[in-house]
Amino acid sequence: MRRAILILGAALAVIGPMLPAASAADKIHVVATIPDLKALTEEVGGNLVEVESLARGTQNAHEIEIRPSLMLKLRRADILVENGLELDSWAEVAVQGANNPKIVRGAPGRVDVSRGIQVLDVPATRVDRSMGDVHPLGNPHYSLDPGMAPIITQNIVDGLVRFAPEHRATFEKNRQAFLARLDEAMARWTRALEPFKGAKVVVYHPQWIYILSRFGLSQAATLEDRPGIPASPAHLTKVIRQMKEERIKMIIVEPWNDLKLATRVAEEAGAKAVVLASMVGGVKGADSYIAAIDHNVNTLAQALR
Amino acid sequence: MRVSALVFVLLCAALAPASATAQDAAALRREIEQLQKQLQSVTERLQRLEAQPPAPAQVPPAAAPAPATAPGLSAIDLARPRQPFGLYQQRGAGQLLFDIGIAGDFVGNLTQKNVEKAQGGTFAGQENRFFPREVELSLFGQIDPYASAVVRIEAGEEARGAETGVHLAEAYITLLTLPFGTQARFGQVRNRFGYSNEVHEHDLPWVDRPNVMRNFFGGEGLQEKGIEMTLVPDLPFYIEALAGVFNGDNETAFGRTSLQAPLVTGRLRTFLELGNEHAVQLGVSVASGQTPERLPSTILGWEGRYKYRPEGWLHPLVTLTTEGLYSWRQFNVDVDADGDGVADFLDKKQKNRWGWYLGGEIQPWRRWAGGLRFDWSQYPENPGAERSFEPYISFWPSEFLRFRAAYKRTDRTHRDGFDLNGGSARTVDEFLFQASFILGAHPAHPF
Repeated sequence: MRRAILILGAALAVIGPMLPAASAADKIHVVATIPDLKALTEEVGGNLVEVESLARGTQNAHEIEIRPSLMLKLRRADILVENGLELDSWAEVAVQGANNPKIVRGAPGRVDVSRGIQVLDVPATRVDRSMGDVHPLGNPHYSLDPGMAPIITQNIVDGLVRFAPEHRATFEKNRQAFLARLDEAMARWTRALEPFKGAKVVVYHPQWIYILSRFGLSQAATLEDRPGIPASPAHLTKVIRQMKEERIKMIIVEPWNDLKLATRVAEEAGAKAVVLASMVGGVKGADSYIAAIDHNVNTLAQALR
Repeated sequence: MRVSALVFVLLCAALAPASATAQDAAALRREIEQLQKQLQSVTERLQRLEAQPPAPAQVPPAAAPAPATAPGLSAIDLARPRQPFGLYQQRGAGQLLFDIGIAGDFVGNLTQKNVEKAQGGTFAGQENRFFPREVELSLFGQIDPYASAVVRIEAGEEARGAETGVHLAEAYITLLTLPFGTQARFGQVRNRFGYSNEVHEHDLPWVDRPNVMRNFFGGEGLQEKGIEMTLVPDLPFYIEALAGVFNGDNETAFGRTSLQAPLVTGRLRTFLELGNEHAVQLGVSVASGQTPERLPSTILGWEGRYKYRPEGWLHPLVTLTTEGLYSWRQFNVDVDADGDGVADFLDKKQKNRWGWYLGGEIQPWRRWAGGLRFDWSQYPENPGAERSFEPYISFWPSEFLRFRAAYKRTDRTHRDGFDLNGGSARTVDEFLFQASFILGAHPAHPF
């Protein structure tokens, strides 16, 4: 008898940690491809959802290594929230390895939040790789433009409601509460960048066009020769000359890009290289959607002063 | 009665305005509610419209020409001959319902004359040549909500000076919506046996396939026609179980070519992460079938792959890869029972042979990597073994173009099988080089 109890106890000790907690099991399991979408899904879903992100904030969202651990996250997902516009097309390989019919392309659990976004940088002429790693569907880096949050969150609500229609009112309420907080913050951000309207900046990788356009700033040049193509010395010389001529004060660098190179170029041109959060969690303190934009706006305002 | 009638009339006169007032109030409330709803809807729409960013004040970089706005097309425009993909452009992005990609892989090698004579180099029969090893056209996408398909057509020079041959490399359907964490793939596939077998030539981390894989599965690796099922159970750790049934067309290891005695495969793969920076994949595979002589042949494989990617890096700093194969195979052997030098009968003899490799790569910069692979392998049938050292260096001018150069030294214990035309390839020194490119769509690489 004692032996049987011992065996049962040992079996429970082994199997116990494998079983999901009851409260977690009740929640809707959502996987977002990038941390921005995780943050927004958490705002909308509140306590009803459990959200994981495939990419981390410090990574380059274009190039995520397809680890089986991503497939494990997707194996349990009820919903996959994706950025679309080919930013996270790598997720398709992970989805195909996860054996989860709920989130395959075309399934109700697949939520593409780019629906309804007015996409910028959409090529209207023929594009090819001589232009670098261009996105034929347009610039996919819209998620950290706070003005896009109403559309993104509406798409997330639609996706969540497809899975749990009984919680529609809660999702709507959460969304409205979040958008109200975002509105307040938006007024603050607009005031902070108002004095710098029309200012030109240089970016390392062309992924800031949405937020720059939102606050009236303009992208004068990129440090990359072309998207995804490392800069040649001749290109850098040209950028430095342009920065001097146009008195450009800053270079925006992504957390995953070469800050040393950007700093060297900035010093040559008498400017500053600043790191902005390219996604939530990209820099210290940018651990929520509003905190990430707060960081970006404050950093921009300080550098342009 | 008259009094009652009077009271009734008076009551009606008193209540009628009150009732009308109540009806008005209810109607008014409904109207207000309706207006509130309309207002809310308009506010929502306004918020959405406000969310659209203003026209970008972007100054396009001179090096990257900004795409111009498409002009309206006239009848003359439409009548003009179109460039490749012109139709695609005019239909608009996303209208082509599947992806197209081309991968090109060109290799060359320089080695000793006697190795060329014996055709004992890494690219047997193609020694001291530069040639297209594989130019691959890939078409892939969703068939419908339940299945996806991949078709790969390859062209390559298979023998010295021969015309380039074109063949179907892969064509399979994957059923994506099966229950209980299962998935089925059927068609012609590169088998998911170990790490390197399913990797295409242009995606390999080395110029050539490891010796053990070529010795036991042939130069093309294990490619079969049949069905594979995978199971990914819902567990806190990753494990993938695979089982497959195939014709057994691989001539080097099996060759029975019939479902009467099919090739059966299996694989178990797991993955461990030690923080964000360290990751290990481990697996075991098995393939069991028959040879053309209807004799059993079984190959067991094991694999391990480790990557160290410092936080924030776009590429791994260190990658270690190892695989091994162990083969049990029966052969018919002539037996000279009476010692007269003439075979009296055939007997079956089992040969247990094995081999392995270990490769390490360091990539300190995004565009440069260097590594070393050590191979040791017996041969499935012939006696002896070979070992190789292969240091190499890779350079990526961009994500879509790669050049690689390697030196490979191979030492063999026997000449058997490497002595064609009176040559000898016991010791082989080779300089290998490779140029690979990707054109168009290419799926992300698994771990």
